[in-house]
This record gives sequence, structure tokens and C-alpha cells, in this order.
Amino acid sequence: MQDDWSLLGPLQWIRYVNKRVTVTAGKDEERRGWLLTVDPVSASLVLVDFREDGGTSVHVVMGHAVEEVQVLEEADEEMAERLRTSFLPSSSCSLDPEELRRRRGGVRSWLQKNRVPVEEEGDELKVAEVLTIRAPYGPEDCCSSNQIILDRIQRLIQNLIQTDP
Amino acid sequence: MATPVSVLRLPKGPDPNSRGFDPRSPRFIALCRTSICTSAASEADPEQLQREQHARSVLRESFLRCLLSMTDKKVQFHMHEKVKVAATFGASDIDVLNFQVSNLHTPIGVQKEALIRCQDVISFTFDA
Repeated sequence: MQDDWSLLGPLQWIRYVNKRVTVTAGKDEERRGWLLTVDPVSASLVLVDFREDGGTSVHVVMGHAVEEVQVLEEADEEMAERLRTSFLPSSSCSLDPEELRRRRGGVRSWLQKNRVPVEEEGDELKVAEVLTIRAPYGPEDCCSSNQIILDRIQRLIQNLIQTDP
Repeated sequence: MATPVSVLRLPKGPDPNSRGFDPRSPRFIALCRTSICTSAASEADPEQLQREQHARSVLRESFLRCLLSMTDKKVQFHMHEKVKVAATFGASDIDVLNFQVSNLHTPIGVQKEALIRCQDVISFTFDA
């Protein structure tokens, strides 16, 4: 079906997402499941299989071993949603606006106390234009492409949580 | 009488400011072509490039989330020659070249800590 799976590129891989596929890999391995994603670095496929007993098994097939990928069927909306949420962090934001405002203020003044330049932008906090902290303002809610800044701010917020839970 | 032993030379290690091995070392050239280049079509067309990069980031994010959820889980590795080993997953490097695992159950015993070379793995399975 395709010459070389690992050379297809993101735009081709994404067309297989949310489809049920059979992957042939290595000499005689065959795996079936719903394709959750393809790692764009290693071309590895993540296949999810919802078992009848309610459990979920995940198969990851390494990109270098892939021989063939065959599409069996497309996901309906329900299945696509199930796939989309299968690995999302479980703690979604369920705090009331007042509590969020209190937390935002707490994190903001803690960062200022540590001489970190921080600004409020809507319900987000921005640090030196390179890092964003979203609600509920925990260490896992920091977002930045700069690893060093990200690490420092996450540690600072961690310290805040430890001293004042 | 001690017999002389030849010295095994390891590849040049990572330099302290970077994130990997020396890009000119044979190991790097053989194993770590880190970034997959953009396609030829995308290089010519900025809009196409934008779409490609978006697709790339969406795919990578859910792959990283999958790796994260695998931490501390029992993972079955299927390797070449029908070798199957089980281990507790620890981490992967960014280029997906090595996995760090604990309690690797091999046919000759349990290895407390180990690195698995991804080139040797065909697939792996875990329960989410």
C-alpha cells in the first residue's frame, strides 16, 4: 500500500488517525487496533484496543519495523471522542471562578516575590513573554518552549504548593 | 600471568550543553537522524509547511501523552526472533532511540535497571 511507512510524513500519517488498522511488522507480527497517533519522530504507531472486559490495551509498533498498514474501518463520532480523551490528563478544570482568581493571585504574588516578571492576561499568567500558566495554575499547567525557564517556574510553583497547600 | 585486554572505545559522550551525542560520531550518523525533514512540497509552499507542522505537533503531543501514561506500567516488549520480555517502563529519550526500564524479566534472569535499544524492538504492549 505504501513504499516506506517511516518516510510518509505527518500529513500522510494523520490521515490514518482514528481509523481501525492492521499493521504488519517485523517478520510475521500482526497487530490490530484503533490508530491513536503516529510519532512524527520515530514513525511509531500507537494502536488502542478497547477490550470487552472494559480494559484498554495499547500496542505501540516501532516505525522502523512497519511493513504494511491496512485500513479496516473508520471511527464513528463516539469512538473518535473515546480515542481523543483516552490519554488526556484526568484532572480537568472544575474549580469555581472565585477559587481560580484566588489561586491566580497566589501564584502571581509568589512569582513576583521571587523576582520573576509576571503579567495577567485574561485568565492566564504570562512569564517574561515565553511561558504561560493556565488554570488551575499548578506545575503541570505551565507551557513554554524554553526547558530551562519551564523547569524553574515549575519548581517555584511546586515550592509554593509545599509551603501553602 | 595477566593477558593484555584490548581497550573498548566508547563513542564520544554527549556534550554538556546539548542534548545528544556528537553529530559527527559514527553512532550518531548510524542511529540518530533526529529530525525527519519537511517534505519537498512543504519547503516550497509556506502554507503547506504550516499544515505539516500543525499535523506534526498534534501527532507528537498525543504520542508524548501516551508515553507519559506508560510510566511505571508493566510493558511487554516483542523483539526480533520472537523474543518477548516484560519490564516496568520508565522513560524514553526524545528521539525514541532508547527506553529506560526497571525489573527487566529476561530469559536468563531479572535485570534491575536496563536500557532497551529501540532498534531491537518490533512492538510493545501495555494496559492503559
